[in-house]
Amino acid sequence: MSFINQLMPNVSLIWPQVWQATLETLYMTVVSAIIAGFLGLIVGICLVVFDESGIVPHPATYSILDKLVNIFRSIPFVILLAVIYPVTKALVGTGIGNTAAIVPLVVGTIPFYARQVQNALVQVDRGIIEAAQAMGASNWDIILRVYLREGLPDLIRVSVLTLISLIGLTAMAGAVGAGGLGNLAISLGYQRFQNDVVWVAMIIILIMVFIVQAVGDWLTRLTTHN
Amino acid sequence: MSEPIIDLEHITVTFRDKKSTVHAVKDVSLQVERGDVYGIVGYSGAGKSTLVRTMNYLQLPTSGTAVVNGQTLGKLNTSQLRQARRKIGMIFQHFNLMNSRTIADNIDYPLRYSQLTRPQREKKVKDLLHLVGLDDKADAYPAQLSGGQKQRVGIARALANDPKILLCDEATSALDPKTTGEILDLLKQVNQDLGITIVLITHEMAAVKAICHHVAVMEEGEIVERGPLLDIFSKPQKQLTKDFINTAAQLDTALAEVRRQPAVINLAANAQLLHLSYVGASTDQPLIADLYQQFGITANILYGNVEFLQDTPVGNLIVILSGDISKFPAAFAQLRQEGVTVTVLDPKGDAVA
Ligand SMILES: Nc1ncnc2c1ncn2[C@@H]1O[C@H](COP(=O)(O)OP(=O)(O)OP(=O)(O)O)[C@@H](O)[C@H]1O
Ligand SMILES: [Mg+2]
Repeated sequence: MSFINQLMPNVSLIWPQVWQATLETLYMTVVSAIIAGFLGLIVGICLVVFDESGIVPHPATYSILDKLVNIFRSIPFVILLAVIYPVTKALVGTGIGNTAAIVPLVVGTIPFYARQVQNALVQVDRGIIEAAQAMGASNWDIILRVYLREGLPDLIRVSVLTLISLIGLTAMAGAVGAGGLGNLAISLGYQRFQNDVVWVAMIIILIMVFIVQAVGDWLTRLTTHN
Repeated sequence: MSEPIIDLEHITVTFRDKKSTVHAVKDVSLQVERGDVYGIVGYSGAGKSTLVRTMNYLQLPTSGTAVVNGQTLGKLNTSQLRQARRKIGMIFQHFNLMNSRTIADNIDYPLRYSQLTRPQREKKVKDLLHLVGLDDKADAYPAQLSGGQKQRVGIARALANDPKILLCDEATSALDPKTTGEILDLLKQVNQDLGITIVLITHEMAAVKAICHHVAVMEEGEIVERGPLLDIFSKPQKQLTKDFINTAAQLDTALAEVRRQPAVINLAANAQLLHLSYVGASTDQPLIADLYQQFGITANILYGNVEFLQDTPVGNLIVILSGDISKFPAAFAQLRQEGVTVTVLDPKGDAVA
């Protein structure tokens, strides 16, 4: 233990704070992932079914969704944080803190994930969709039991990708006052020259990414049958 | 005759986009009788798939009506149409099985729309697996099966809801000849044992020949010729039909071979190269012997092929007849009277007349 204390003189004094920051990062990531995952999935599915070659072609709706996704994807996250500050304040009551950070995280992640979901689901063979239609499947059936099921390995893959990018965003949000490991690294490590704090924050984030990746790979293998 | 199970009236399908208009199907009317096996042949792009897809309204016709199983498909609402589709099975060139489900689950999928209980569904899946000869593959995934096996699963799945009709769109086109034969045998069995009406779309006349009772030939969105299999094979009217038949009988290759032979290259002045084809009864007649006895004409058979269509022999001969040329017209008339189709071939040309 004394070796660790020597190596990380600052971190050893603030372990509870590091633990707290880790929990905050997890909290922001998990809650944002659930909300953005759900909404992004819906938008992604809409992009697939309303497409010209989808099961319910609807060019007007498709084109609106498509443009919205493009626009929101183009906004750099730091700018998005500032731009939607009023919305955040109205929704959460405050503009800073973990919970407040969830609003921009969700808004920033939905379009990214929606596009990923779209890319995953359009891989599903058109012929399989057609076979289901020929069997008398309803559109709901086709979405739930064909698209989502056949596209599952790809969906897991893009979800992992999104989750990893979300972890990155929480760190960035942390830098502008949302708490979490990003905040810790900036406020203590960077601004007070406590390099060991930066390193520890980075390693914890890397471990999170690694776990997400490993679980994702395992699930992908489990669901792939071709 | 009872009323047809499939009745297409003046079906037209036009695809339009900003740049172009494609008339995929042009004013096609087609009736298929209950219990029939109806073949539709044509080259790629002829509109076969588009036409067959109007039979379950996967393709909405631009105009015209489709009455299938006694229902006018165009008058059904979405949920009624889904109901109707459950009684119209369909199989595809690329099988279109769900990769994420086992074979048993693939076959079980359409049963979710039936009234059957869990145990009944399991039994049904088992029976269907047995019917298509895949009892031991229940827990395999499609990726572990050969093409022929996948198509068997396709057939089992299509039959799950006891359809009255089975639509087959190029169902054997991705398979090798032997597997094609096996799948066609299975379809024949499905037709005979279960009484299911089959519509078979293909670009191979050989497949039609193997199991169809009726055939329609499609070109550029239209049916250019149609009729009972034997009639089409014995008296094809259109060049396209003849091409298909000749390809199937491998007459093309035979003729090319024949034309390279010295006897044909140096065809004598008192000789002619002919294609004789006959269906059924005429094969009992000693044609060649008669020609010699009655007209003093000798025949040199360069190629001969007899095959059975619906248990009726169909023969094709390429012969050189030599003798007194002035007696040829009378000899041909005699042959034609016996039901033989006589075609004089150009010894140098490249087409089968
Ligand atoms: N959804 C579509 N949109 C536009 N054009 C189409 C569409 N489907 C088919 N076509 C066109 O309609 C014509 C007929 O196509 P179809 O698929 O019915 O032919 P086919 O006889 O089945 O050919 P193949 O043997 O290649 O399957 C083709 O020119 C094709 O390009
Ligand atoms: Mg086709």
